[in-house]
Amino acid sequence: MLDNDELVRYNRQLRIPDFGEAAQEKLKTSRVVIAGVGGLGCASATYLAAAGVGHITIVDFDAVELSNLNRQVLYWEEDIGAKKVMVAQKKLSRLNPTIEITPVCAEITEQNASGIISGAQVVVDGLDKSDARLAINRACVGQKIPYVYGGVSRLRGMMTTIIPGATPCLACFSPEGPRGLGVLGITPGLIANLQALETIKLLIGQKPSLAGKLLLFNGNDLKFRVYDIEKNEGCQVCSQGSVRRRADGA
Amino acid sequence: MRAAIAPGFSELFITVNPSGEVTRDGLLNLNMPWLFAPWPEARTKGVIEAEVEGETLRALLTFLAEAYKKAGVDFEPINPRTNDMDEDYDVLINGNNYITLPNRLDTKLEDGDKVKLKILWRWDG
Repeated sequence: MLDNDELVRYNRQLRIPDFGEAAQEKLKTSRVVIAGVGGLGCASATYLAAAGVGHITIVDFDAVELSNLNRQVLYWEEDIGAKKVMVAQKKLSRLNPTIEITPVCAEITEQNASGIISGAQVVVDGLDKSDARLAINRACVGQKIPYVYGGVSRLRGMMTTIIPGATPCLACFSPEGPRGLGVLGITPGLIANLQALETIKLLIGQKPSLAGKLLLFNGNDLKFRVYDIEKNEGCQVCSQGSVRRRADGA
Repeated sequence: MRAAIAPGFSELFITVNPSGEVTRDGLLNLNMPWLFAPWPEARTKGVIEAEVEGETLRALLTFLAEAYKKAGVDFEPINPRTNDMDEDYDVLINGNNYITLPNRLDTKLEDGDKVKLKILWRWDG
């Protein structure tokens, strides 16, 4: 049951016909892990907290630096040098004291990824390295937890919603791409908000819009492209592995 | 030029003026169906051949963009604003990135050249 304060706090989203109190109650008991609290994670954490996701675990090992402040909007000058997860936990709790924010100060690896995501209903990508993403991807596939991938650079962004067993996983693509190209803060803000929207849809039982689809955002000419993607039956993570098939299906 | 086009996972593999049959040997299953949009027969054939006007990498990429556009797919490897490769893609000739070649996109393609056009993923956060 929502109490009176919650009915007021969430009033504007409770008015949405296919949202309502039932959905809000689902959010209240939901558990989400946000892997990485940088440009992406700051934005997704803020909006998921504001929306009333009841239990949010934030994972990061970094400390706040001056060069973070163009995009990592939970951190301010006074926070430089402090651990990101501790600063984020404090600010998100002030934004919404009715929810539980759990900070985990750790670097995500193949060894700890499974433990970190255990118990989550959705894992939201806020990472900035391919190996950590692939570790989270593998753990999510193993535990059948949806994983909302997002990645950015410059004015470009990418996103897909991975539903283990139903959609391709990140490892299906042997994805390649450059790092450290720079980024305008708006780009992770935008992609992270779309990730948060997909997460909320998953939590309240609505169909996610980007399951089996890859979204490419181009901020230079403000284009969104959405492409269908299929599972790689040779994927070592989500399929049988080492299966090769001729194009005629034989 | 003749181009033998094999859509891959998130790439296109193209052989220029192939001397023999081009096959999908070594390519795994398919997971970006939109890559087949201009040539649905590639789903069963695996590789299709097309005639491209011009001799350069730019001509090939322009041909591809037009073919996708006709099939209703917004795929623009050359950015019209910069007239260079769009940041979402990369292209290699025989394993060499086009930016390492003196004439970049205006490199003349030779018989048997293997061109790989791939989508770049985003890793920063």
